[in-house]
Amino acid sequence: MQHWVIQNDGSGAHEADEPCSQEARPTHSPDGVDLTLIRWMLSLTPLERLEVLQATIRSIMQLRGDIKS
Amino acid sequence: MATSSPDFLAILRRLAEHKIDFIVVGGVCAALQGAPVATFDLDLVHSRKPANIDRLLAALETLDAHYREPVARWIKPTKSHLASSGHQLLMTSFGPLDLLGTIGAARDYESLLSDTTEMEIDRALKVRLLGLAALIRIKEETGGEKDVAILPTLRRTLEEKSKP
Repeated sequence: MQHWVIQNDGSGAHEADEPCSQEARPTHSPDGVDLTLIRWMLSLTPLERLEVLQATIRSIMQLRGDIKS
Repeated sequence: MATSSPDFLAILRRLAEHKIDFIVVGGVCAALQGAPVATFDLDLVHSRKPANIDRLLAALETLDAHYREPVARWIKPTKSHLASSGHQLLMTSFGPLDLLGTIGAARDYESLLSDTTEMEIDRALKVRLLGLAALIRIKEETGGEKDVAILPTLRRTLEEKSKP
């Protein structure tokens, strides 16, 4: 039996050397959206999603030097 | 201007404490529904009924709300500003807050209500959100570059949410 995985760069399926332990799901949609991030966000509670958003913004502002670490 | 990162949760809590009728739209709305997007401001459509505007003005006072521009002047929103269909782009002590009289094709608070859901953020806070399908429709209507750019992520999030 052949086992197929989707490459993280979204370039499509390829034959894997090792069997997959679970059913492979596409990592990207045909229009290039990273589905793994969506699935991760959906696994969180609403409060956790808001905290992720705020932490992301805080990181961006720290990287830009807008705020101190 | 605020020099710390935004605290959207604090703004939402303050508005809820003042019993403001509002709908969360925009990037925070998308993120709360699972879309991996970043945004620097909190976008809300508020009810423009006089009693709600009175409560909103009181809440904004506690948040030190003022217009983001002009930077050199501290201009507070007024009753007539909040009663208009325009967009009030404010800075608060917890970060940027955009109060929108209408969005898309002149959709106001009342006309959006049927497309909203209530979400419990935690035991002390419930907020009303524009549904993801409606958010997509409105961004399609608006058609601005920023709106169009985010559409694939919103559409795929809606698809993933619909899967069993």
